[in-house]
Formats: sequence, structure tokens, C-alpha cells
Amino acid sequence: MNFDFEQEQYAFRDSFARYLAQAFPRGNDGRLDRSDVNFDEEWNALAELGLFALLIPENYGGIGLSFVDLSLIVEELGKVLAPLAITDTLVATDLILRFANEELKQSLFPRIAAGECRIAIAILEAEAGYDPAACRTVLESEGNRLCLSGRKILVPHAARADYWLVVARKADTDEPTVLLIPHNAPAPDLRSHESIDPSCAHGELIFDRLPVDPGTVLDGHEAAVRLFDVSATVASGLLLGLADTSLNLAVDYARQRVQFGQPIGAFQAIKHRCADMAVAAESSRSATYYAFWAIANDPPDRSRTVSIAKSFTGETAGSICNESIQIHGGMGFTWELGLHHYLRRCKVLEYSHGDAAFHRERLVTEAIAAIERQNDMA
Amino acid sequence: MDFSYSPEECRFRDDLRAWLRDALPEGWGRTVFEPEEEEERAQFRLQWDRKLFAGGWAGLDWPTQYGGRGASLIEQAIFAEETARARAPMGLNIIGRNLAGTTLLHHGNEAQKQRYLPQILSGKEVWCQGFSEPNAGSDLASVRARAVLKDGRFIVNGQKIWTSFAQYSQWCIALVRTDPDAPKHKGISFLLIDMSSPGITIRPLKQISGESEFNETFFENVEVPVENLVGGLNEGWKIAMTTLAYERGPEDAMARQIRFGQELDGLIVWLSRQMRDGRPAIENPGLRQKIARSLADLEIVRLNCLRSLSRLLNGAPRGADTSMIKLFWSHAAQNLYETALEALGPMAPLVAGDRLAPANGAFILSYLQSRAFTIYSGSSEIQRTIIGERMLGLPKQRI
Repeated sequence: MNFDFEQEQYAFRDSFARYLAQAFPRGNDGRLDRSDVNFDEEWNALAELGLFALLIPENYGGIGLSFVDLSLIVEELGKVLAPLAITDTLVATDLILRFANEELKQSLFPRIAAGECRIAIAILEAEAGYDPAACRTVLESEGNRLCLSGRKILVPHAARADYWLVVARKADTDEPTVLLIPHNAPAPDLRSHESIDPSCAHGELIFDRLPVDPGTVLDGHEAAVRLFDVSATVASGLLLGLADTSLNLAVDYARQRVQFGQPIGAFQAIKHRCADMAVAAESSRSATYYAFWAIANDPPDRSRTVSIAKSFTGETAGSICNESIQIHGGMGFTWELGLHHYLRRCKVLEYSHGDAAFHRERLVTEAIAAIERQNDMA
Repeated sequence: MDFSYSPEECRFRDDLRAWLRDALPEGWGRTVFEPEEEEERAQFRLQWDRKLFAGGWAGLDWPTQYGGRGASLIEQAIFAEETARARAPMGLNIIGRNLAGTTLLHHGNEAQKQRYLPQILSGKEVWCQGFSEPNAGSDLASVRARAVLKDGRFIVNGQKIWTSFAQYSQWCIALVRTDPDAPKHKGISFLLIDMSSPGITIRPLKQISGESEFNETFFENVEVPVENLVGGLNEGWKIAMTTLAYERGPEDAMARQIRFGQELDGLIVWLSRQMRDGRPAIENPGLRQKIARSLADLEIVRLNCLRSLSRLLNGAPRGADTSMIKLFWSHAAQNLYETALEALGPMAPLVAGDRLAPANGAFILSYLQSRAFTIYSGSSEIQRTIIGERMLGLPKQRI
């Protein structure tokens, strides 16, 4: 029993964080402006570092690490508000590894590892909620070919993706499935969103009987559920990172800002708020690291574990971002100081991959079923 | 990161489970419960302490030379989990084992260890804690109970309050002022006081739950031999901090989350059988959200404990993270019992003794008891100050 990382994992995190500090330079005020959505340089720097090869097994030319090894890395990416295309590509790598056919793996893994393949995740729909089984985008047979119809919203960096990983419902069985749709002709219609976080370059994808190559279908209900769980866990990791940065900025400010003749952090009204934020962040850390362990090791209660992490960390990060702005006072509300970048990204992640209410309902439904099973046995 | 247990740890768990099955009465926790009358319950709990000792399960982490088992932190966590899971009684000598004993192991001299530790483990001597006073609560360092050293003995005068189990105790760990002129943290000493000494008066205090676990304790010219001083004269504050770190530690929270979880499961079962406004009460979406929140919180208490234990195992000192653990579990538990009352709805006000009271009033009793969680062992406000100053490096307030 050891709920801690190995020394090598911490060392890897530290060197990755140093690399990120260079690849993602901070502004003069120490805070990030991620409104520049052209992230080619950052992407290439991370590819050169080998980030995209980490999850790919050695027999496909990768490093063969697991999501436990990556959890601290995802947290660091969250701290610097790294473009979501980076983590989306990591999530897609996991799905391809577990559900794609051999041919697809052989052709994609070298390109992913080299950083030549950006994959954007397209799950959300305007009228489908979060449950993959409730999605309305449909995959149907027309004669001897498959085609896809429906709309996906809030796809990060949709226009710059090489592939979209799309969740759809199979018309014949009504089962959800996952598709890897290449960004080439014939392509879906693409519309840019106006969203709270412009640095995500969100787009809407409109599929109108788009022909689909059956070889790119990652089949089965389990693929859709796994995509949901892995995405939610990675979102928790990113939320944890950005909450940690928001908290640290608030604490630093509370140590320095003097009012009434002493640093405001000396006053209980501020100190106790910071303490509550720290407890919430540390607790999110416990929940999120455990979820990463669960998606890497697939225990029977994986989904429960993921729902605990995402519901708790989502709300925690939201409240830490809010509190951080409050502790910074009037300065906190300025565009220039940049705290809003964390808040903006937080809102995107909080309402992606299941919000707190969705995950709690999943959690309580599962708990009631487990208690009933226990009572039936007794 | 590894959540599996070694074969030795699994064997430890199996042995403990088997022992608990035999040691607890048939139907325990389902049809057979602790005595309801307080004095009887205290004696029942003391018998349990002695049973644990006889079975070789007392003082798990203590060195074998003092009658302990020399168990690892993981085995302690397993012990906390399994005894909670079996709904085993709380012992009566909790303060003896967790606080007095642990503090003596760290700061006691050899003679003190030899004299007191075996008696604590065997349940022969029960201990209470004389730290708080009417004017020294959160500001514990301002204790005023005086101890004057005279002819090889301390003469103690003063009053302690919230002394849990004083009425059942043979011994008391007490913080007393031995130098009134020194700065307040530097004039305190840590004494072991024989509760049968002349001059001690105990007056029970009735709690909001209706129980009288704690007391006011008065000391009037109580003589304490000088060899009952732990550590050096005026060095009591540092020693008290050790005591408090163990009071708030992950071993304690590990057992609590299981007991809270059992009550939450019980609540879910009760709700499944209950109609409310024409439909099963368990289908109320607002309630489901709150129940889920508590399910998540309790799992996070467990995970926080496992991370803290792992840090300790990997060599980190016991630090302010125990404050985080305590702050989180205490508020999580209060939220849980608020939700429980909301779930009981119109039945909520019924308490034990009324034939319609859900679970014979267990939920509402736990709710009342839970109001103490954020006050004892250092109030939430004190924990937040500790976290703010020691973990986040925020400055102390200048007055």
C-alpha cells in the first residue's frame, strides 16, 4: 500500500515543469495570457520532449507509460492552461490503444508520437446532456457504407485538429460508439463558437450523412464509457492544476498586500479562506490521483472513482478561482491581472465530461445498486 | 502508487476479522448493541479494552517491550478499518492509548514508560486529558492551573474543563503553569496526575446530545510527585503538540469514515423503504445530490488518510496535514448528518424512546453529537490558522 508517487515520477514531473516554464513563457506579471490560440511552437516543443509517445507501448515505438505516470504531467499542463488539444490527444491515444484495430494503431501511433497528429474530442451536443448513451449524433448504414449525422459542440481547437474523436449512437442497436473521423475531404461543416475561453478555439462540427470508414470505428459501449471516464479524469487533473495555481497566486498576494498596516494574509478573514482553499485543493488531489490510478488499472469501481474526482474537483476548482479573485480585491477583477484566464478555463472544464450534478447522480445510483446487491446476498 | 496489500498485511486482516467475529456477540451491530445507560456503557467499553488486550490487539503500534505489537502504520490502518467495519465498540481508554501512551512513548523517561504503558494497554488504568480550561480553549497556551514545586512535589490548583471520561479515569495528563512570569508558551509543564489524589472534584457536564461524557475537574492543593513531570520543567507546550498531532491523525479519521459510511448506507436503506409525497423518498433528486456529495466526501476522507499514511511511511514527519485531515472529516460529517435529518423529513424530530423514531433515533443522536466535531481536538478556526500559518506561510496577525 503506497498512495504516493515514486521518486522518478516526481523527478520527471519537475523536469517537465521546467520545460513547460520555457515552452509556455509567462507575462511580466507572472500570469498567463493564453488568448493567442496559435500554439504550434508549444505543441512542437512538447512533441520534441516526447510527451505524445509516453502512453504508446514500446512495441509501437513509444515509451509505454500509464496514466498514473501521466497524472502529475496533466496537473502541470493544467497549471499553465496548456491548450486542450494536448490532453485530448493523450486521451485519444488511450482509446486507440484499447479499441482500435491493428492497422489503425500501426498507422497512427508513429504520427501521434512524432506530434504530427492532433486529435480533438467531440462528445458534447446541445441537446444530449452528458450520458454517452443519450447522444443524438447517429451512425447508420446506407447501403453498404456507414454515414454519420449530427452536431457536436464545444470541440477544442476543432479547426486545427487532424482527427476528431466523436461519440455517436449506432442506428441499428442504439448503442453508443466512438469514431475517429479524419479532417480531410469529405469533411463536416465547421463553425467557430463564441465561448467564455477563446483560448480553446471551440468549434461546432456539423455532420450531414458524412461517409465513415468502418476501420476507424472504436466499437462498443465500453469504448464510449471509457472515453467518458478518461476524459473526466484528465479534466479533473487539469482542474486540479489550475486550482493549485489560483490558490498559490492568492496566497502570494495575501502575503504581500498590506492594508491596515499588515499583510492581509495575517487577518483571519483571509487566512481562513486560504486554508479552506488549501484543504479543498489537497482533497481534490487525493480524489484525482486515485482516479488516475483507476483509469490506469481498471478496477471494478472505476466509474465511481472517476465521478468522485470530477464532481469534487470541478466544484472545488470553481470556488478556488472565485475566491482567488475575491482575495485580490479590485485588482482581481481586472483583465490585465489575468486571474480570469483560470476562471474561464475552469468553467469550460467544469461543464465538460460531466458536471458535478451528473457525476453525483451516477455515484448515488451506483451506491444504491451496490447496497441492494449486498442486501440481496445477505 | 500501489493499493494492494502484502501477504503479511492480508494475513493480519484475516486474523483480525476472525478474532472480531469470535469476540463480538452473535448479531452484534444488527440486533445486539451497546448498553444505553451511560455507566453500563462505560463498563462495557472498558471490558472491550481488556478483551482487545487479552487478544493481543492493544497498542498495535507500540514497541513490544512495553506490551505493544510493533505493528506497521498500514496494519494500524487495517485495524482501524476492520474494527470500524465490524462495528466494534469504541474503547473507554481512548485517551490512554492514543494520547497519554503515545505522548509517553515520545517524551516519557524509561521509568515512566515502564510504570504506565503496560497498565494503559491492559485497560487497568483509564486516562483523561486535562488540557482545556474555562479561559484556555482555542488559546490553549494561556492555561492558568498552577503547579508550584515544593519539597519534591507539585501543588496543583485550578480548573480543567471538557475532561472526557474523568469520572472513569485513574490518571490525567495535565497542562499546568509552572512559570507565570515566562511568555505563555514557555511556562507550561506536562504532568501525570493520579485522579484518586485528595483535592480533586469532578462535576459532569451535560452535552447537547443529552449525554455526560465530559466534565469539569477542579484541583485544590493536589499533590503530584515530581517524578510525574514529563519532559523538562516548562517544556510542556512542545509535548502537548505531540499529543495533539496524534489526536488529529489519519489513524483516527480512517476509522471514522467507515462508521460514517455505515450510517449513510443505513440512511439509504431507510429511504428506499420510505414513501414521501406519494413517491419513494430515495427518488428525490435534491436529496440524491446531497447523499452523493457525502458518499464522495467520505471516500475522500479515506483517500486523504491513505496519502497522509503513505507520507509518514515514506519518512515525512507528522505535520500540519493532520489539521487538514481533521478539518475535512469534521465538516464532511456535519454535512452528512444535516443531510440525514433532511432525508428523515417529517420524522426528523423523533428521538430514541419514541417507537416511530427512525433507527431508534440513531441519526438524530449522531447529528447532535456531530456538532462537537468542529470544536473538539482544536476547533476548525484553530485548524485553519495552523494550516494558514504553517502550511501556507501566511503571517501571524499583529495586535
